[in-house]
Amino acid sequence: MKIDATQPLEYGTEENRNKIFGFWLFLGAEIALFATLFTVYFVLVDRYASGPNGAEIFEIGPVLAETFILLTSSFTIGLAVHAMRLGLKKQMMMFMIITLALGAVFLGIEIFEFFTYVHEGATITTSAFLSSLFTLLGTHGAHVTFGLLWGIAILVQLRKHGLDHSTANKSFIFSLYWHFLDVVWIFIFSFVYLKGLM
Amino acid sequence: MLKQLFPIKHVVGYVASLGLTALALVALMDLPEAVKMAILVVTAILQATLQLVLFMHIGESDDKRSLYINIFFAVFVALVTIFGSLFIFVWGWYA
Repeated sequence: MKIDATQPLEYGTEENRNKIFGFWLFLGAEIALFATLFTVYFVLVDRYASGPNGAEIFEIGPVLAETFILLTSSFTIGLAVHAMRLGLKKQMMMFMIITLALGAVFLGIEIFEFFTYVHEGATITTSAFLSSLFTLLGTHGAHVTFGLLWGIAILVQLRKHGLDHSTANKSFIFSLYWHFLDVVWIFIFSFVYLKGLM
Repeated sequence: MLKQLFPIKHVVGYVASLGLTALALVALMDLPEAVKMAILVVTAILQATLQLVLFMHIGESDDKRSLYINIFFAVFVALVTIFGSLFIFVWGWYA
């Protein structure tokens, strides 16, 4: 394995560089995936049949909390990568644990929010609007859930193998994924919740 | 140590992202519809750009040209999907 010492650890080998490049291609596909879900939502948003519309069920409080938590977790995973580049494994793992904890709190709020909607008679089968809403939010939530499991798996590997070309590469790719989830949430926050409450 | 762990660039980016969220809330005030939408579009694009450039370091690798092309193409596909469908199904440009 040829190692390029002038590059940060996660870019150090050709395989590492290819993996990061490949993950960016995957994120391109993810942009297309979420674009279709947003499209379905925008087309169906006014088809709330006899059920409630967005203005009736959305609450700004929990949504602001979710946004704040996700933006903060995006910041802490950024700090984790920064600590990684300084070779500070302990601090890096601390920041990753904080990130995952914030992700878990975000999911908790989202699940509570879903329970509230269903309690108010807004289920996935109530109207086309709610079907598309739950599909969009649920897909994002499923991505966060997957991210939590992925992050934990990486923490275990960091503990076991320390910081090397392989674990640094995995951690960096995970950080890309996590930032991307934040980007998707920004659009949900703006064009689902704020627009719905307008 | 604190200064080493919290680089100023990241802290400024974080504060800016919170500021943009606060700014987006202006859309809930009593303003013309077009102004509200303009605020949402601008703040969302700025937030996404901030994440992409500052936190995801899109411009740092040797492949950056290919990465920019890939992301621009993905965004192009996304916009065509969204606005193409809106034109047909919502805004009635099907004639």
